[in-house]
Amino acid sequence: MNLIAKTTVFYLLVSVLVFGIGGYVTYHVVETEVIKETDYALYDEVQDMANDIRDGIPLEILRRRKANIEHLGDHLQIDTFYRFTDTIAPHPYREGETEPYRKLEAVKEVDGSFFHITITDVFIESDDIYDVVVEIIWRLFLILGVGMLIASFLVTRWLLTPFQRILSSIRGFNIKQSEPLDLPKTTTREFRQLNAFVSAMTERARRDFRTVREFSENASHEMQTPLSIARGKLELLQETQSLDQEQLRLIDDAQTALRRLSKLGSALLLLTKIENHEFRAQHKIDFSTIVNTCIDNFEELAMLRGLPVRREVKPGVKVALDPTLADVLVSNLVRNAIRHNQEDGAIEVYLDHERLVIRNTGAPPTIPTRDLFKRFRKNQQSEKSMGLGLAIVKKICDTNRLVVNYDFQDGWHEISVIFPTNV
Amino acid sequence: MKLLIVEDQQELVDNIQAYLSRGDVVCEAARNFAEAQDRLISFSYDIVLLDLMLPDGSGLNLLRLLKRMNPETGVLIISAKNALDDKIKGLELGADDYLTKPFHLSELNARLNAIFRRRRQQGHKVLEHGCIRIDTDTREVTVSDQPITLTVKEYELLLFFITNKNRVLTKQVIAEHLWGDDVDLLDSFDFVYQHIKNLRKKIAIEGCEEHIKTIYGLGYKFTNR
Repeated sequence: MNLIAKTTVFYLLVSVLVFGIGGYVTYHVVETEVIKETDYALYDEVQDMANDIRDGIPLEILRRRKANIEHLGDHLQIDTFYRFTDTIAPHPYREGETEPYRKLEAVKEVDGSFFHITITDVFIESDDIYDVVVEIIWRLFLILGVGMLIASFLVTRWLLTPFQRILSSIRGFNIKQSEPLDLPKTTTREFRQLNAFVSAMTERARRDFRTVREFSENASHEMQTPLSIARGKLELLQETQSLDQEQLRLIDDAQTALRRLSKLGSALLLLTKIENHEFRAQHKIDFSTIVNTCIDNFEELAMLRGLPVRREVKPGVKVALDPTLADVLVSNLVRNAIRHNQEDGAIEVYLDHERLVIRNTGAPPTIPTRDLFKRFRKNQQSEKSMGLGLAIVKKICDTNRLVVNYDFQDGWHEISVIFPTNV
Repeated sequence: MKLLIVEDQQELVDNIQAYLSRGDVVCEAARNFAEAQDRLISFSYDIVLLDLMLPDGSGLNLLRLLKRMNPETGVLIISAKNALDDKIKGLELGADDYLTKPFHLSELNARLNAIFRRRRQQGHKVLEHGCIRIDTDTREVTVSDQPITLTVKEYELLLFFITNKNRVLTKQVIAEHLWGDDVDLLDSFDFVYQHIKNLRKKIAIEGCEEHIKTIYGLGYKFTNR
């Protein structure tokens, strides 16, 4: 429910309450007024009768259907009074029905004679007042309701248009683009504030994003140069004639550590680039060729470790993926299958239009399988592994709408990459 | 071999110069785009070692300029940029090879020599070391004028040794040269020893002196002896 609908409903609820109380009050006010006016009329009539009596009009003429006059006598010692009461009398036209009446009973002195006068008048029934009040209130409520619906529609159409446009601008916000958000000009103060806030915030988000991206790229890139220099110096040191074997070994160990560091830098840089969506799948690529080329590249290394690679690759499998990423994805999986293998093990690669499956023999995983795709989580036995390969695979899959699963059964590790858009 | 190093990191230039000057290489260095441009216009080089990221311009533009002026010069690109795009673009523009930072100086040396040999005139592509003679065109190897048959890996190994003679080559460096960066996947480099053993056997059978010296636990060194 949108804001306007909510306020409309709220106002309608409030008006139901107001109209309810209003109806009750109206009913009582009207009823009191009706009684007062009826009483006035009755009282006036009694005065008129008294005047008529004074004028000598005979009582027989003055007596009517609803008025009765009795001559009580002259010079009596009784009090004169007016008494209003409600009474019920038979309906004049409808047989067997009664009607409420207002009755005035009075004892009045006219020129020394005392008269007992009774007048009744039809009294507007409270039922009727109730009906009228309900009718009025109901119609007012209807007019108000329709009015409010129209008003809320207009408010949404005109008043909130800038807000809708601000929202759609924010929705279309891309942190990687540099052009400012298209925010509508508006005279509403709140929306102007919102505009200012949104543009300041998006600008800052972009600046931060750029800074972080530049930092991680530069850090990884700039790291390579000093590493290169250090490795070069060590190589030159290695060439020095006077070194004994122990010293050469120390140099070699330092080289190994530096090599790891530089590989780590490149892997982290790659992860950052994937996270930043720097690789966009422009169109579908021939995944079969990439898989085949990749296996060809690794086959020799696999053979050196005594691992036969069995492959079943359907030709012409198309997947929407950046070619570089596709290569990184398959290489990392094959590399993984070689590294975490065992003596006399084997590797199987299977590709069809729906999935890529890479299976390899190996010891059962020593960490929970859900952690396998996390950074720097690795089995203890693999010292040379950096623990980033599967994190990169996962990241590639996440950013390219691919699903990656891991399973271990009967001594076989199985990683499958599913292409949901091809299924 | 006359070499121009276009690289903005002085330390890196020093390393390369120090390493290569022990062979018969004349090294000159340019620290930025403008300097490199001046040198390329004024002098001619056998090979240019080109960093793609220069403080005042792109190495790819230098490459275009060089290929227009002196297409005979060999180019080896060195860059920290691991991007496939740059690699392909560089090679399309006429670079001979591409090396990603960080690299082994021995690997750089081997690549430079390979480019140098490819670029030289016919008949000059023969490498001689003692009694060993390699025709890099036909891949024929003779030891004391006796032709020997080597596998592809043994041939590459021998070539790598000769271009890096008198230098310490660790098993890691040899393995990476022959099988690429992913050689880390293997638990040990024992297979390097296997290849060296076979190579030794083949060049020793022909009555040539032992050239490959073992540095125990570390690697090998190809010497004149």
